[in-house]
Amino acid sequence: MSAALGAERPQVVSHVQQALSYTVFDCKWVPRSARLLCLGSAARGTGVLQLYELHGARLELLREIEKPKPIKCGTFGATSLQQRYLATGDFDGNLNIWNLEAPEIPVYSVKGHKEIINSIDGVGGLGIGEGAPEIVTGSRDGTVKVWDPRQNDTPVANMEPVQGESKRDCWTVAFGNAYNQEERVVCAGYDNGDIKLFDLKTMSLRWETNIKNGVCSVEFDRKDINMNKLVATSLEGKFHVFDMRTQHPTKGFASVSEKAQKSTIWQVRHLPQNRDIFMTSGGSGSLHLWKYEYPAQRSKKDSEGSEMGVAGSLSLLQNVTLSTQPISSLDWSPDKKGLCVCGAFDQTVRVLIVTKLNKI
Amino acid sequence: MPVWLREHSWRQTLTAVYLSLPLRGARATPANIFCSEQYLKVSIPPFLFEAVLFAPIDDTNSTAKIGNGNIFFTLYKKEPALWDSLTLANADKEKLQYLRENAVLKAQEKAREEAEAKKITKQEHKKYALEATMKVEEAERKRIEDLKEKERQKVAKELELWKNQQKDGDKYKSIQKKEELHQEIEPLEERKNENMNKTRIPNEGHSKTRLKSIRGHGSCSIFSQNLKEEQLPAPRVAATIKVNFTPRVFPTALRESRVAEEEEWLHKQAEARRIINSDLSDLEDLKQEEKNPDWLKDKGNKMFAMGDYLGAVNAYNLAVRLNNKLPLLYLNRAACHLKLRNLHKAIEDSSKALELLTPPVPDNENARVKAHVRRGTAFCQLELYTEGLQDYEAALKIDPRNKILEKDAEKIRHLIQGTMQSS
Repeated sequence: MSAALGAERPQVVSHVQQALSYTVFDCKWVPRSARLLCLGSAARGTGVLQLYELHGARLELLREIEKPKPIKCGTFGATSLQQRYLATGDFDGNLNIWNLEAPEIPVYSVKGHKEIINSIDGVGGLGIGEGAPEIVTGSRDGTVKVWDPRQNDTPVANMEPVQGESKRDCWTVAFGNAYNQEERVVCAGYDNGDIKLFDLKTMSLRWETNIKNGVCSVEFDRKDINMNKLVATSLEGKFHVFDMRTQHPTKGFASVSEKAQKSTIWQVRHLPQNRDIFMTSGGSGSLHLWKYEYPAQRSKKDSEGSEMGVAGSLSLLQNVTLSTQPISSLDWSPDKKGLCVCGAFDQTVRVLIVTKLNKI
Repeated sequence: MPVWLREHSWRQTLTAVYLSLPLRGARATPANIFCSEQYLKVSIPPFLFEAVLFAPIDDTNSTAKIGNGNIFFTLYKKEPALWDSLTLANADKEKLQYLRENAVLKAQEKAREEAEAKKITKQEHKKYALEATMKVEEAERKRIEDLKEKERQKVAKELELWKNQQKDGDKYKSIQKKEELHQEIEPLEERKNENMNKTRIPNEGHSKTRLKSIRGHGSCSIFSQNLKEEQLPAPRVAATIKVNFTPRVFPTALRESRVAEEEEWLHKQAEARRIINSDLSDLEDLKQEEKNPDWLKDKGNKMFAMGDYLGAVNAYNLAVRLNNKLPLLYLNRAACHLKLRNLHKAIEDSSKALELLTPPVPDNENARVKAHVRRGTAFCQLELYTEGLQDYEAALKIDPRNKILEKDAEKIRHLIQGTMQSS
């Protein structure tokens, strides 16, 4: 067990709560600011984008933008820090990149998928990492596509089912291993429990596994380093942490798993300032803060002499129940350590502060 | 008949009466003594002592001491007066009776009142205890709340500070930007003027200043991202990666807790398909898998794909013998017959398939379209074009977007019109 004593444990303090008049599917901090973005679906079936600013103990609405289709997910990951364009995926399969100063016409738009885009991620922007900015989208039509904002209409990579194979919904995607200009990896999780790791440099499937429950969320601890850890959360309250530094030819990556809550774990997000701390949000409206501890030796040799990874251990730092409905989205602020925003299906968005993270 | 105790002795003062009653060896307990305002009774079966007192006494304060074979009563008078005697002298029977009853009733009432009073005090005690515990808990809760509040305020203050820093930082950066812009523009303007004075070709001069201004803006940018942009790699060469999924029959997501149920359901389905028509005696020498209609259907499909139509028909025949309720068997056999040009059999099988596909739901759309198309083809090959057209139109109704069907239907229409014209 870690040395987190009662008085020294991080506390999750609920700073601001904002009731919304629509279902919020995703909430994101605007980088380098105290502003946050809520994306969702209004009752009349249109998409809503709201931009809020944190003012003391309340959120002030700066802009409200309505779009024809409900918006499921968004990311700032692939834009530069000056431009701060938002890439969104909507219920109709359209990928759009918006300039929030002039949101009437998207900067980039493509009907990427035939069905709803469940998840989106961006890499190469915000001054983090190197290489071309790229966006990956995963959709219910079973395909995962990688887009470059400089190339219209066609994706630069398309991971689709073999001809004649029945498709499975892709629920989540994440970029990783982008430590130089050529290397890049996309991890995708599907509803039948499959996790697949695609290498974009060699355009091949690098690893796949099945965790026996539909995969709700995957995230690398950092996108811009040699891939270190991958957390995959699933239905039935389980999540797995894979050690990605050592790949065994047959056994793949070593992992440790934890059953935290009785309900689905909707999201996992790593703290930007410390890659060993992450928060999981659950279907029972609760948030759990975890710390991963590395084992004494990260790899060992097995009986045939090939390298095999060793998984570490997890400790629960804090948990708190904020809502009766699932907390479907979570985002840490990249600028202030411990500040995070979460959106739940009870149509509220909450700004939370996690204290004492420096002492971990 | 009770034995009366009469050897009592008494004396009195102005306010009290002292009565001493010897018990002839009997043991007395408080339960044996009954006393009310004007009536006193001691009953220790078989002994009995009874006295209707001269004047009322205060029976709540009066006491009785039991001991040494004797009961010593101390009775306090209600009105201080000297009694002539202990008991009322001329008490007739009725009066005595009445007094006795009255006394009993009064005693009962008193007992009831006492009980109630006791209950009330008990309740009040309980309430008090509850309130006390509530206060203590409240205090505890408040303490925790205060701690949380303090944390919250501290954190809020830090947040405000950080935000202000951000704002200042932004302002500073924008001021810097402006200053640098100004600095760049001044020398640019100077150079512009110089160029004009030197009477150069205006285009060249203008283009030079334009170039300079662009570069000027570039160096203004704090993050020097523009320089980096020039070094971004080109977009990736497009490629596709083919993916295979872990097979799953159900369209819903995989959940561990449901796996057992799902397996059971699938098992039951397979069993159901196997059990129909399984009592044919000449099938005993077949292998286990050959008795499974699904396996036979797969075998038939493979043989069809390889071009062995007769073998496929055999496989389907056996499967039908085992289970004649599977429409797909008839459908596939119809296709085989078409290839073998057994057109009547093809029509028969397609009709049987359509019969089995009777609830016309979206799930069996594909199957129904195929059945209609095969039957239609068979009719056309028999030159029964009108029936064939009917089937093609039925297929088009189910699947209006199929271009091939439309073309074929058109062809048949032309043929019909052609024959009608020529006849």
